[in-house]
Amino acid sequence: MPDANQGRSNTAPWWGLLFALASVGCNAAFFINAPLQGMVPWLSLLFAAVALVFLVMGLRLAIVHPKVYRRRVLSIIVAVIALLPAGLTVFAFVGTRKLPNADAAPQVGQKVPDFTLADTSGKPVSLDQLLAASTTQAQAPKAVLLIFYRGYW
Amino acid sequence: MEKHLAEFEAAGVRPVAISVDPPDVSLNLANKEGYTFPVLSDPDAAVIRRYHILHPAGAPDEHDIARPAEFLVDSSKIVRWANFTEDIRVRARADEMLAAARKLH
Repeated sequence: MPDANQGRSNTAPWWGLLFALASVGCNAAFFINAPLQGMVPWLSLLFAAVALVFLVMGLRLAIVHPKVYRRRVLSIIVAVIALLPAGLTVFAFVGTRKLPNADAAPQVGQKVPDFTLADTSGKPVSLDQLLAASTTQAQAPKAVLLIFYRGYW
Repeated sequence: MEKHLAEFEAAGVRPVAISVDPPDVSLNLANKEGYTFPVLSDPDAAVIRRYHILHPAGAPDEHDIARPAEFLVDSSKIVRWANFTEDIRVRARADEMLAAARKLH
């Protein structure tokens, strides 16, 4: 059993933990409405990948070279803990991109289907009404911006 | 969205939100967020289907919902700008939509 205070220090698990936390932290960009959000999922995936490289390296050093590197158990614990946020990022990346394509949806230059749907008071509202002048907007709008969202179910 | 409402109105654009949420859920959302633009309900996803943006079993409870999509539709009901995200975390930003709105004549 090597002396815990002797030997080289294994910093790889700590770097792995840092990158794993950064990969999760990237998601803050969505909440502060930062620009270039399209890059964020990729950036967070990159950080997770770097984290995984460090974690594998750290585990390898701790397990394969137990006599060379000190604080072996701590290295393994940190690496295993850091796997959680890194894995979460990869899992989220796959999950949030599992969307059906919109190839059949109305594209620029195409006409959209008419509709009539209930508003928050249950009153039916048609696309024609939305495109017409209303009590709140004296002038008919030039356009409506239809924002389809997932909802809260 | 609500923060930019005056800018959309100045550009002659009326935002309208649509989801499968029933009116009472939409009302809660509108009250909570202070939305003054229309929030419409498509509980059986009939319109969402007609727009070909259904995400079958997309909700955690396997409910059919809409995939996120934004359409800028002019008075002739023609799409002038559209956005279909590939990641539910990444939505069209208000400034992008305003830029599209300001390009309308």
